[in-house]
Amino acid sequence: MITTSNEDRFRVLDGQYERDILPETGHILKGQKSRYQTDMDSPEAKLLIEQRQALVDNYLQGQETNFLEKMTTRLDEYFYRVFEKSIAARKMVISGSPFAIIALGGYGRKEQCIHSDIDLLILFDKSIPPDVEAFVQELLYPLWDARFEVGYAVRNVNECIKMSFERFDILTTVLDARFICGASLIYSAFMEKFRQQLASKHLKPTLNYLYENGEKRLADFGDSSYLVSPDLKSGFGGLRDYHTLLWYAKIKSNIKFRRDLEYYGFLSHFEYENLEDALTYIWDVRNRLHYISQRKNDTLHFEHQAEVAGLMDCADMSGLPQVEVFLGELHEKMDFLKQIYQITFEDIVSTCRVKKDAVAAQPTKTDGLVVKKRRLCFANTVSILQHPDLLLRIFLESGQTRIPLSVEARRIASEFRHLVDDDVRTDPGCVKIFKRILGLSLWKFNVLNVMLSTGILAQFIPEFLPLVHKIQYNQYHLFPVDKHSIRCVQILNNFKDPGDTMMGTLYNSVFKEIRNKNVLLVAGLLHDIGKSDPAKEHSRRGARIAGPVVDRLGFSPAEKEDILFLIENHLFLAKTATRRDIFDEETAVYTAHKIGKIRLLRMLFLITVADSKATGPKAWNDWTENLIKDLFFKTMSIIKTGELASKKTQRLIEKKKKDVLALLRESWREEEVTRQLSVMSRRYLLYVPPQNIVDHINLFRNLGDREYIWQITKANESDMRTVSICGKDKPGFYSKLSGVFFQNNIDIVGSQAYFLGDSHFLDIFNVRPPQDRLFEKEKWEKAGQDLSMALEEDHYLDSVLEKIPTEVTISSGGRPEPNQVRIDNETSSFFTIIEVLTYDFPGLLFAVTNTLYRAGINVNVAMVTTKVDQVMDVFYVRDIEGDQKIESEEKLNQIKTAIINRLPQIQSKEVMNEKN
Amino acid sequence: MKKIEAIIKPFKLDDVKEALSEIGIYGMTVTEVNGYGRQKGHKEIYRGAEYVVDFVPKIKLEIVVVDDRLDETVETIRSATNSGKIGDGKIFVLPVEQAIRVRTGESGDDAI
Repeated sequence: MITTSNEDRFRVLDGQYERDILPETGHILKGQKSRYQTDMDSPEAKLLIEQRQALVDNYLQGQETNFLEKMTTRLDEYFYRVFEKSIAARKMVISGSPFAIIALGGYGRKEQCIHSDIDLLILFDKSIPPDVEAFVQELLYPLWDARFEVGYAVRNVNECIKMSFERFDILTTVLDARFICGASLIYSAFMEKFRQQLASKHLKPTLNYLYENGEKRLADFGDSSYLVSPDLKSGFGGLRDYHTLLWYAKIKSNIKFRRDLEYYGFLSHFEYENLEDALTYIWDVRNRLHYISQRKNDTLHFEHQAEVAGLMDCADMSGLPQVEVFLGELHEKMDFLKQIYQITFEDIVSTCRVKKDAVAAQPTKTDGLVVKKRRLCFANTVSILQHPDLLLRIFLESGQTRIPLSVEARRIASEFRHLVDDDVRTDPGCVKIFKRILGLSLWKFNVLNVMLSTGILAQFIPEFLPLVHKIQYNQYHLFPVDKHSIRCVQILNNFKDPGDTMMGTLYNSVFKEIRNKNVLLVAGLLHDIGKSDPAKEHSRRGARIAGPVVDRLGFSPAEKEDILFLIENHLFLAKTATRRDIFDEETAVYTAHKIGKIRLLRMLFLITVADSKATGPKAWNDWTENLIKDLFFKTMSIIKTGELASKKTQRLIEKKKKDVLALLRESWREEEVTRQLSVMSRRYLLYVPPQNIVDHINLFRNLGDREYIWQITKANESDMRTVSICGKDKPGFYSKLSGVFFQNNIDIVGSQAYFLGDSHFLDIFNVRPPQDRLFEKEKWEKAGQDLSMALEEDHYLDSVLEKIPTEVTISSGGRPEPNQVRIDNETSSFFTIIEVLTYDFPGLLFAVTNTLYRAGINVNVAMVTTKVDQVMDVFYVRDIEGDQKIESEEKLNQIKTAIINRLPQIQSKEVMNEKN
Repeated sequence: MKKIEAIIKPFKLDDVKEALSEIGIYGMTVTEVNGYGRQKGHKEIYRGAEYVVDFVPKIKLEIVVVDDRLDETVETIRSATNSGKIGDGKIFVLPVEQAIRVRTGESGDDAI
């Protein structure tokens, strides 16, 4: 008997022969030199090796057809020669123990690739003579020495039949059994007995085996046609799919050859031709792979693909890389084998698994469609001619009822697909059906894939055709573009189900907020439509190609604009998340500005996730998910606040940039100013007047190595001073600055603080000048000295703290509002926003900012305004420790309390009077 | 021989690669990693649900260099990734006992 793997091969032999004949055979099979040197001189084996070499050479030069059969014949001839010359064989025949040499498995099917296994059965009628040992030595040792992978078994008829029905892997090799030489009567008697037993009591279990084995294979190997390294034999889409059909046909109708598949009605003529075509191609690939690997190898590893493509000599007319043309063709053929398997699978199900009562045709709610044997079918072909929309409706019905199309229905849909013409494509009813089908494309039951394989999808959207079997050769893209696009739609639909993960919940809640799901799904289906031409930038090209499709699908101009935006920008979020600093607010502002609308952000987010997930594990993992999610949240809050990314903001900023350019025209080169402006934050550009920006740009230029530089200007109309300051960012600087002003009796009326890039700050203070105008210059110098001291000695200003009043009496009437501190931790993803509402008093800004600084908080942005005597201070702060917003509730409360405690009691004059 | 392990911000990878190739260092191993140091994870609230990010996404680079290229390499990585901010990353240097090129069997400095 025979098994397929080396490890098994001898273990399952008859114990006696295993030990006696082949004490160390494992070694030989693992490729070591044999110690049976005498057999190395076998002229028969030498001839075989020479013949094989010549055959392979010719074949690889394209001069050999029917290579597999010729390989088989050479092997057969070897066995004839050895059998004829063998004295051991003659002895056994003479002593009344004739036997047959039988080819099994692939060798039996005459499908011998360069390094395929050779499986042999030496079959005796009843008893097995001991001479067989010598015969096997003569027959097989030369082959092993020549590194052929030969497996064999010595059995008598009865035990062989018994084992066939006990073990499925033996049964399938016996199904392929072919007589080579010896006593043909033993072979025919064996086959007759085998067939008779199969038909009488083993039919159903065998078919069940076939069915279950297929299921198991899919679970073990996965969908091979979409793996980076497809398995040409055992994977789904591999040769095993065809073997399964062949075995099924042999079991059911006792067919002899592959050709019979059509004659016995297992395949249509068209299907049979496609099968031949696909098999020839895959065998060619397999032979080349064997040749390159110099051994039996059925996994087409990524590293081998380019080399095999070179040997396959793929026509390269489209300018595509040869390997992509090759893989595209291979996927197409493997896809066909997969369909063949589906046909087989359904046939097996309907022969042995469907109950009798389900056989009668049942009507469906769509006229012209019926259900037979749990499969959806067309009631008749005439109605398709009259109502070509049935070619779409059948998929809608299938998606809704979750009943698959019958093989016949697929065949008909495929052969009638030309009926889906421009009239159907633009018919509002059909368009509506199509959109509903899109919504029904789910993981477990994906009707869109069937629509693709029948050709109806590419017929309905002809722009989709160039994507079919379109390969992108890298380790990143697992699927051809057509399948990838459909997977993307599937994943989008699957967001309907939140699942039990945190991220599932997020995708689900974002999905639920999308009002027009059709916009999302069509954008998902068409997002890669531009990939038909690899030379072009596919996103923009895709948006152009999608335009007419979207028009035909009857979307409104606004919807169309959304879909084209999503297609054109489907890589934007992923690119931004990985290539820019998402912890920088400017990145989110930039993203928000580009996307503009919350609606679009939501859809773009989901398409980004679905696209990445549909690409393969290398494009999607927790790491990428985290980055993209973070950018989504951050951008969302920027768009929601509207402050920094709205159109109005954009207009204001553009105008301000122009003003600054005009003001600096004489002293600066335009590019230099533009460069300076480009690194300034939007918040800064939005709120700071042009003249102050000009001051800052000049200051920044003169900063050099100094810690800071300031400029004091006198306002023309009022008695106020503006202090513009630029310096290197250092926690506490802003607090120290306000402390120094307080110390020198400089009254702060308003102030703004910003950061410039990663390492500098720009502040503006509007102040009342010192009371002593005569020595103003000296006063400012003194303030400058104090600031230098404060920067050097962190607690230099501590003594000033005592001068902050503990009580403030306000002059306006009525009860004073109590001091208020509000903390907003939701509006911004980058900053904790602290608002302080109080009445003005000397040292107020110092009181608040010093409290923050001592609590380990840095003020990144500040906006301080005074209205009469009421003050509103807004601070955008971050934790100094982690340079990020404050997350801990506890810390937020501590800060709030600390500020409240630092602020003086507020009393009004009236209250004071009442007291008196 | 020394092994340099650098944890950097994801978007700085291209800068580092470029800077290293300018000084003739072409080989490195790049891994996407998550972690935290002084820069911690954070949480976001969406539709009332909290989404906690425990770790900050980073890139880990591993480069093995001969001893006399160490300082230059470390300095190149540092200056390419330094923005003066928290979260810029860290660079670790470890001794390497041996290196072997699989194909040729060369070992030591020749294998780098």
